[in-house]
Amino acid sequence: MIKIKRLNFRYDLASNFHCSVTNHRFTLKCLPQNTARQKIEDIKLFINGVEYRQNATDSFGNSVVYGCISESHDKFVVSMTGTAFTGLDIFEEFQPDETKSVIFKYPTPLTTPGNGIENYFKSLELEKFPREYEKVLHIMRELHKDFAYKKGETTVSTTAEEAFNKGCGVCQDYAQIMTALCRMAKIPVRYVTGAIIGEGYSHAWVEALCNGFWYGFDPTNDLLVNNQYIKISHGRDYSDCVINKGIFNGYNRQELDVNVSINDEQ
Amino acid sequence: MDELFEHASTVNELLSRYGVKFGIYKNGQFNEQLFPFDPIPRIIKKAEFEHLEKGLIQRVDALNLFLADIYGNKQIVKDKVIPEEFIFSSSGFLQQCDGVVPPKNIFSHISGIDLVQAKDGTWYILEDNLRVPSGASYPMIARSLCRRTSPETFARTKIEDNRTYADMLKEVMNFVNTGGINVIVTPGRYNAAFFEHSYFAEKTGAVLTTGKDLVVENDNVYYVDYQGNRQRVGALYRRISDEFLDPMTFREDSVIGIPHLFEAYKKGNVAIINAPGNGIADDKGIYYFVPKMIKYYLNQEPILNNAPTYVPFYKEDMDYVLSHFDDLVIKDVSEAGGYGVFFGNSLTKEKKEEFINKLKAEPRRFIAQEVIDFLDIDVFIDGKRAPRKADLRAFVLSDGTTKVWKSGLTRFSRNPDSFIVNSSQGGGFKDTWILSQ
Repeated sequence: MIKIKRLNFRYDLASNFHCSVTNHRFTLKCLPQNTARQKIEDIKLFINGVEYRQNATDSFGNSVVYGCISESHDKFVVSMTGTAFTGLDIFEEFQPDETKSVIFKYPTPLTTPGNGIENYFKSLELEKFPREYEKVLHIMRELHKDFAYKKGETTVSTTAEEAFNKGCGVCQDYAQIMTALCRMAKIPVRYVTGAIIGEGYSHAWVEALCNGFWYGFDPTNDLLVNNQYIKISHGRDYSDCVINKGIFNGYNRQELDVNVSINDEQ
Repeated sequence: MDELFEHASTVNELLSRYGVKFGIYKNGQFNEQLFPFDPIPRIIKKAEFEHLEKGLIQRVDALNLFLADIYGNKQIVKDKVIPEEFIFSSSGFLQQCDGVVPPKNIFSHISGIDLVQAKDGTWYILEDNLRVPSGASYPMIARSLCRRTSPETFARTKIEDNRTYADMLKEVMNFVNTGGINVIVTPGRYNAAFFEHSYFAEKTGAVLTTGKDLVVENDNVYYVDYQGNRQRVGALYRRISDEFLDPMTFREDSVIGIPHLFEAYKKGNVAIINAPGNGIADDKGIYYFVPKMIKYYLNQEPILNNAPTYVPFYKEDMDYVLSHFDDLVIKDVSEAGGYGVFFGNSLTKEKKEEFINKLKAEPRRFIAQEVIDFLDIDVFIDGKRAPRKADLRAFVLSDGTTKVWKSGLTRFSRNPDSFIVNSSQGGGFKDTWILSQ
């Protein structure tokens, strides 16, 4: 049965610049969304030294906060707290209008399959599964078995095909390979950024459209998305869901420190 | 008209002194070369131009309706007039623009429509350019220099004045302006069309700037001058392509863009000319569907036709292309500027087989066209007239009403055997005269 959880979450980002920077413009996609499965309350977002900030929604419906810090600074600190009620349902969204999901059917530069993924796709023999949900579930199960979790082997710009050929990577790679495979099966699929209890860092998984419902699948953990997950944003691939984008003046090296914590109150 | 020939070299010298040059990157090197001007104008009779004018207005109106539909309700896809693959797998469709309505709902303010005339006199549309079409400045400045060197020609001949382009452009900027100054944004002096950017700024009174002097604050765009004074920008005629426009929304590595410009645009606080996302309408694969758009949106028959085109995505077209391969021109829809275009009969047997396999694997990526028997026009070479292939880029401006500039850029191929007239491929240009009676 569905079990509702009340989760208190906290997201901290600290960027330390080796030399001061000015004219820093940032765009953050860190605010969790309300979906059929989760409801978000009491969000507090703090950004240090910010001169102005604005809220917007991107073309996928994700919340965006953006703004500017003109004065010289050597630290960019963002912290967000809030409460999420998760497990309200087993799907994220009901979307019967097919034209709204068509953009999630076609490959993107990060998820275009090459020979490696194409051959793997054939080996999955998805024609044996009549329903979309079963196909997606099979893709998740098999990919989880055949791809290894290993940090430091891939970067944020590694494509699904490159990661697949390495045979190992992180949650972003699992999610992008799964995205490529579902799209080859003509199933609309979106890349999701969020967080999971006990991980300490942001997480990535996918949502697939099955019979009009978007369901979450986590190939890294071989799990259906449940009340342990807080969704932040979705898009066609990683590049649509970057949590923190920034541009500033000043030659620099920066160290980024990100911390996510989720406390289960029960 | 002969006095025009006498002064041809003077005009070319003046053009070079004014900086009418084309910058070309080849093998990582930047080279500027002159854009050679030929003194023999292309002449279009009044009645013929009126026919072209009607057809061009109809086409651009349909394209603007298409763009508003595609970034809105997508009815043309729902009604299956255009298959969804052609929209959503195209790199021209920008998801970021979905649902964004530009000021006054105009997407293509300045459209450059390329036409060719066949030997039987029929005009065909070859290509639509709805992103940042360039080239209007060249016939403008050539005309004014020719008027100076041979005023008697222009006193005798009744032709439409083409120096009106600057006023037309200014009206377009003023019409969509959301309150503020007009600016022309150039990537800088190393851009192929820098002369044009500076010439338009001078002629329209808009401020010429790079992205560096523009800032976005509280969702408004400001121009900051060298003294630090700020002026709000209401219309931004950008000569930088979509992907470099705003590093926070498009390519993150763009150093010529304006961070958060797209947010100001989304809120309706600045007009961007042309609207971002127009690449979906001038995609070579979408070109095939423009006559269908004219019927769909305007319920009219197209006045000007496309060159006969086949889309191998459809099985009957694929069969035709395979059986008539040697008679067709093949175009890769993902390329521009005369690249990715070849004649079926130019391939060796092995290359042909290799290409056909590629075509079968990615049918959506290519279109094929019948070779049009171009009407050659004369150019002046070594003191003599010689026939060359040429096209015509017509400029269509939309500011609530749609107007065609009474001139145009005629580009010709300097190589007698070549059909490719793009300036990036070393072609030259002519003035285009529209007779006024």
